Amino acid sequence: MDIINNIVRILEKYWNLFLIGTANTLLLSAVTVLFGIIIGSLLALMRISKLHIGRCKPLNLIATVYVEFIRGTPLLLQLYFFYFLLPMMVPALQLDKTFSIILALCLNSGAYVAEIIRAGINAVDKGQMEAARSLGLNYRQTMIKVIFPQAVKNILPALCNEFVSIIKETSLASTFFVGDLMTQFKTINGALFLSIEPLIIVGIIYFVLTFTLSKGIAVLERRLKTSD
Amino acid sequence: MTNSNYLIEVSDLHKNFGELQVLKGVSEHISKGEVVSIIGPSGGGKSTFLRCLNLLEVPTSGKILFEGEDITAKGVDIDLHRQKMGMVFQHFNVFPHMTVGENVTMAPVLLGKKKQNEAVDMAKALLERVGLADKYNAYPQRLSGGQKQRLAIVRALAMEPDVMLFDEPTSALDPEMVGEVLNVIKGLVKEGMTTVIVTHEMGFAREISDRVFFMDGGVLAEKGSPEDIFSHPQNPRTKEFLSKVLY
Repeated sequence: MDIINNIVRILEKYWNLFLIGTANTLLLSAVTVLFGIIIGSLLALMRISKLHIGRCKPLNLIATVYVEFIRGTPLLLQLYFFYFLLPMMVPALQLDKTFSIILALCLNSGAYVAEIIRAGINAVDKGQMEAARSLGLNYRQTMIKVIFPQAVKNILPALCNEFVSIIKETSLASTFFVGDLMTQFKTINGALFLSIEPLIIVGIIYFVLTFTLSKGIAVLERRLKTSD
Repeated sequence: MTNSNYLIEVSDLHKNFGELQVLKGVSEHISKGEVVSIIGPSGGGKSTFLRCLNLLEVPTSGKILFEGEDITAKGVDIDLHRQKMGMVFQHFNVFPHMTVGENVTMAPVLLGKKKQNEAVDMAKALLERVGLADKYNAYPQRLSGGQKQRLAIVRALAMEPDVMLFDEPTSALDPEMVGEVLNVIKGLVKEGMTTVIVTHEMGFAREISDRVFFMDGGVLAEKGSPEDIFSHPQNPRTKEFLSKVLY
């Protein structure tokens, strides 16, 4: 029963920390997804681009190497990398290490979003491209009028799921005390020398966030299906 | 050597998919207003031949003249030629994110052939003709297979093509819907539309065609009038094929 009592005490005293942490986690995730979408769209376009010099497709190659590297190394490693590298390259960033962390998260998410977008485009039936081209539309017109609008329906639910995983992944950024929910656990842990109780609280908050969002996505997915 | 009455002229057409030779030298011509059916066993190259005509498949070698111009030549704007070659697919390939009306009006408006209001009028008239007038604002998901295929035909007609290419237009349909699609095609043929159709509907091919091509093993194994092909086939492979498909 000690645990319950401690949880109540912690909540009474530090409720505002959890509130700030939750807000920061959501904000961090939203920014990450937003820039992840921008970066991911660019990478996806590079990967489907037909631009070539001889048999080499430079844009495709760059994007592929980038995506494979990001997906093939741990996020924590990437966070450390940018945490040390960026202030070294741009001394003005010395003071704001949080920026480096956010940038690393965005660059990481971009690679995953690129794959989501590419898969969404590839999932559109090949016959759609042929039908549009046989009407006389060029490749670009076909992509804009026929392929992308259908791909969006495949991409949207997957992007929302990406948002849910990012909410969880941002906890790694607490390694650098960026003020997210997990950082608040560390703060309280340091102040009270209690670990289980604040972990339970933080865990429940994470769960409520991701569970609610997942249920919302399921509803969205059903809506998209019926509007087909 | 080019006959001005020829709409499409194919000479020594080859198509390989990797090691596989699908077309092994096909030479033929299709005249304006002519109706040609292509029959033959699966894997014989019928669909590949048809898809080469509007370069959905790029030939490995050989030449295709469309309205006197070599469309296989470098620097040809194939999109312009495709606007004049309507194509209908086995699996309809209607655009699911557009209404029936948008399916029809999208290409002519986007490609500058028609103003929006003209395109809408034309779409309504064409849909009326194939019995889909009341579906103008519906989405294709609500249509039966036969209705989807009729829509696909109208979508191609909206570009006012000089030739219609049909790639097994009834093969994916439930039997009771085959008739409604064939009737639409028959109507087009009666109006003088140049038509090339790959089909397994032998009775239909016999009824509407000026000429029938029997394709097997990547070559035009036999060609002639429907009477020649169906009643007096000369090539043993044609005889064997027909004996299997006609009971």
